[in-house]
Amino acid sequence: MASADLRRVADGGGAGGTFQPYLDSLRQELQQTDPTLLSVVVAVLAVLLTLVFWKLIRSRRSSQRAVLLVGLCDSGKTLLFVRLLTGLYRDTQTSITDSSAVYRVNNNRGNSLTLIDLPGHESLRLQFLERFKSSARAIVFVVDSAAFQREVKDVAEFLYQVLIDSMGLKNTPSFLIACNKQDIAMAKSAKLIQQQLEKELNTLRVTRSAAPSTLDSSSTAPAQLGKKGKEFEFSQLALKVEFLECSAKGGRGDAGSADIQDLEKWLAKIA
Amino acid sequence: MLDFFTIFSKGGLVLWCFQGVSDSCTGPVNALIRSVLLQERGGNNSFTHEALTLKYKLDNQFELVFVVGFQKILTLTYVDKLIDDVHRLFRDKYRTEIQQQSALSLLNGTFDFQNDFLRLLREAEESSKIRAPTTMKKFEDSEKAKKPVRSMIETRGEKPKEKAKNSKKKGAKKEGSDGPLATSKAVPAEKSGLPVGPENGVELSKEELIRRKREEFIQKHGRGMEKSNKSTKSDAPKEKGKKAPRVWELGGCANKEVLDYSTPTTNGSPEAALSEDINLIRGTGPGGQLQDLDCSSSDDEGAAQNSTKPSATKGTLGGMFGMLKGLVGSKSLSREDMESVLDKMRDHLIAKNVAADIAVQLCESVANKLEGKVMGTFSTVTSTVKQALQESLVQILQPQRRVDMLRDIMDAQRRQRPYVVTFCGVNGVGKSTNLAKISFWLLENGFSVLIAACDTFRAGAVEQLRTHTRRLSALHPPEKHGGRTMVQLFEKGYGKDAAGIAMEAIAFARNQGFDVVLVDTAGRMQDNAPLMTALAKLITVNTPDLVLFVGEALVGNEAVDQLVKFNRALADHSMAQTPRLIDGIVLTKFDTIDDKVGAAISMTYITSKPIVFVGTGQTYCDLRSLNAKAVVAALMKA
Repeated sequence: MASADLRRVADGGGAGGTFQPYLDSLRQELQQTDPTLLSVVVAVLAVLLTLVFWKLIRSRRSSQRAVLLVGLCDSGKTLLFVRLLTGLYRDTQTSITDSSAVYRVNNNRGNSLTLIDLPGHESLRLQFLERFKSSARAIVFVVDSAAFQREVKDVAEFLYQVLIDSMGLKNTPSFLIACNKQDIAMAKSAKLIQQQLEKELNTLRVTRSAAPSTLDSSSTAPAQLGKKGKEFEFSQLALKVEFLECSAKGGRGDAGSADIQDLEKWLAKIA
Repeated sequence: MLDFFTIFSKGGLVLWCFQGVSDSCTGPVNALIRSVLLQERGGNNSFTHEALTLKYKLDNQFELVFVVGFQKILTLTYVDKLIDDVHRLFRDKYRTEIQQQSALSLLNGTFDFQNDFLRLLREAEESSKIRAPTTMKKFEDSEKAKKPVRSMIETRGEKPKEKAKNSKKKGAKKEGSDGPLATSKAVPAEKSGLPVGPENGVELSKEELIRRKREEFIQKHGRGMEKSNKSTKSDAPKEKGKKAPRVWELGGCANKEVLDYSTPTTNGSPEAALSEDINLIRGTGPGGQLQDLDCSSSDDEGAAQNSTKPSATKGTLGGMFGMLKGLVGSKSLSREDMESVLDKMRDHLIAKNVAADIAVQLCESVANKLEGKVMGTFSTVTSTVKQALQESLVQILQPQRRVDMLRDIMDAQRRQRPYVVTFCGVNGVGKSTNLAKISFWLLENGFSVLIAACDTFRAGAVEQLRTHTRRLSALHPPEKHGGRTMVQLFEKGYGKDAAGIAMEAIAFARNQGFDVVLVDTAGRMQDNAPLMTALAKLITVNTPDLVLFVGEALVGNEAVDQLVKFNRALADHSMAQTPRLIDGIVLTKFDTIDDKVGAAISMTYITSKPIVFVGTGQTYCDLRSLNAKAVVAALMKA
């Protein structure tokens, strides 16, 4: 049985030819039924198998349990992060690094996700997105609905980048655009934000494809967002993009609770 | 006195905040983060925002930031100490909460720090009040004695600031006690070049003393003659010093100091005894007008040497162990650990053509960011520093402002007005060439371009643009675009006012329905004030949508000067509330520099404006956009 095991390993290695002499000598050794060698081989195999399994399990867990909170500066990512975890209000500053914590989803299965709050500043966000995107199970793109009109171009540009990046991933994450700050009177509705973003992404598609190529010409042509020759719509994308309205601050000021039930439900759904 | 004191995690959570006044501290702190911490300008730890001065301290081990804000007009001496005290206490008190990696413990922890903080603040204020009169005295007293102390400090430039401060204080104290005596004696000695009678006698008696001591010494240790020789050597400078002016004597003493401290390390105990003897002589010698003066300085030197000596011995003893520990154990980085690596990095950056000042500032900022950070297992100091530097460089090259020219041109098109781009820069960097390349790129994207020849100074400038226009219109003839002239030159010959021509060109473009106006200006050196004024006028009058600074990638230290002066000229001559500065950079001649790409870093660091285009050759399609990662990779390549 051990020899059969060995052969399988050798075949799996795909370099049976080169190892033939060693294998022969091994077989001879085995035929002599030397117990020490056999036990050593079995032990090594066991260790290797455990390592492989461990690695697999670990990579799967880490690659699927993270929920990234991305968005521009001052869109309310950190407060949303705090609200999701504790339900309390906290003062926040511009983030310099990411912060992560385990989030227990409130569904009956009670499984947990890792919430990661990424900094939104221009000089940091792409770097951090690069670092965490491979482990993303879901991406929550937070938009400041009140200041949307003013920042629509910046929002669209970053969204474009995030969408392109997340479509390039092996397992495409779920995508949510959370229209935050709905407590402010002048906030735009999710519907309108979706329309504006589609329009903006449409023009961005044109300008991006016309931009001069980057310095290292080796990089491949940028992926195309949506269908060619058609007005861009989120429904054309391979990954499903959902929109919802929320308010991390809540209507009743600092002491009140947040209006993020929809977001919690969505997180429970994707968990 | 303090407006606010806030402690927050680098993740952005405010852990605790003290509000001295009702104003919110969020705005100024965010400004601090965005314009200092995220721009790698963390060399010094204070920042001025409107009427406030903010001082901050980073705790890299626990990823915390401490910020204190107070009115700019106040000069609070205790703030640095207060931050340190608060930092220490806070860290010790909430070690368990802030130690974990997860943000959850930060969120759940309650940071009831108010009482402790108020106590610390009170203590700090008290101490500053107590110290106040003594500092005044110190200044008065040290008026005369300041010079030698100052010069001593300057010679040792690398010494940390605090040490220098200490030494100053120490020196001042010493001089406070016996300063007047010493100075009163020193003054006549200084005035009379020759040694006066009584002084001479004093020196003689001193010599006698030395001789006696030496005899004693030889009797005591009847060993080698060379030691006695040494002792004669050691008092040789003193004998000389008798004749020489006072300043020289001071130098001689310093020399002796070195002898004093080097002998015990090189030789055995007898030498130590000898140095002791010399010290004894100095102590008993009544002609101490010179020694008194540098008494404090010698003390300081001793202290400095003492402080360096143990570390050196530790280094030799625990070098091996330390290396292993550094490799395996997790330890926090200290500035000394990083010193050598940072020096190497700085030299490397400079070798890659990053301007020297900027390399220094960058390394300083990286050191600030890393100090106290706990290194992971199996990571060396070098790798950690390199990693951090790389991240910082990528951060710098990341545009702070959205640059999507085509998008903005589309917007302008919709509003039926031309999009105006002005090119400026020093002579011969390739303004006209790159203008032609950019017009080709715009033409390819279906926008019509009007080129305004505002270089009315250099011979052939207009002809150069005319040639480009002819070639471009040959590439994009009107027939291909429905009879519409795609590219046209607007020129008024030489010697005219550039601002006027630009204005006419813009009006012409509006009437003729051109999408883009590219304004070519004359090259000018940044020190040429009249020309800089003219440029500022052109930009103020015409308010272009985009001001591009054209700079060559070959430039080294000059990049700083050029950009700073161009920006300053634009700011100085602007009447607007927020002056119109450079919006973006065109980096030219990028194909000539191989991997010495430092100019890209220098330019973006100074202006924090993006590099919009990179010129990489002679043909129309040699226009690229910058890839931050590729540049950083080239920069870090050994």
